Amino acid sequence: MTGNILLSISVRRSKDIFPSAGQFRVNYPATMKKLLAFLALAGIAQIAAAAVAKGSTTTAENKVANCIGCHGIPGYKASFPEVYQVPMLGGQSAKYIENALNAYKKGERKHPTMRGIAGSLSDQDIADVAAYYAQQK
Amino acid sequence: MKSFAISSFIALSALSLSAHAGGDISAGKAATEKYNCASCHGKDYNTPIDPGYPKLAGQHRDYLEHALVAYQRGADGANGRGNAIMAAQAKPLSRQDITNIAAYLNSLPGSLVLRK
Repeated sequence: MTGNILLSISVRRSKDIFPSAGQFRVNYPATMKKLLAFLALAGIAQIAAAAVAKGSTTTAENKVANCIGCHGIPGYKASFPEVYQVPMLGGQSAKYIENALNAYKKGERKHPTMRGIAGSLSDQDIADVAAYYAQQK
Repeated sequence: MKSFAISSFIALSALSLSAHAGGDISAGKAATEKYNCASCHGKDYNTPIDPGYPKLAGQHRDYLEHALVAYQRGADGANGRGNAIMAAQAKPLSRQDITNIAAYLNSLPGSLVLRK
């Protein structure tokens, strides 16, 4: 969606820069229509992709770097603001892991470290990380 | 007879010690039955009725305690958690109930693992 906005701004700008380019104006509507149709389709595709957000364990491998420093170390304890062993995630249900990460992201869960980490994750990242931990045995 | 008394004294004091340190497993089992935890988290606490709910069997004891206390605090409390269902479930629990429940759930065999 950001892409759409940026592109339409740049189109408008080129019009501002070349206000006297008559030829431009003649061809403009057709090009614009095509462009708009393309952008609309791209937008729909993007929304559809986000709605599914299926987790992939292969792409997750680059994304769990922030997780394993705590959740991958036996006996590792959270030290701030309270001390307790961080939860075991391997084999946990993917949907629950997604719910938990989204709750940190939205601020329904207040743990400061997890809020920081979850806030940096996209919906796709969350789905991937959840799938990664869910398949562990 | 005397040796039996001594050994049972030792056994009992060991039991009460473990109960003090890590919560009372059988009291925890009774509490989970009283508050119907299994109706969502599954009979064995490893097969929740909805994938949106966590498996609890074998989870770290101190983490489970933290989570229940956090639900009691709610989303407005420091290091709390807001969740409509768990807020209502955690509300009536005493600190001792929480310790016992965590000990019981931790003692159960489950499929949670710690891996990289």
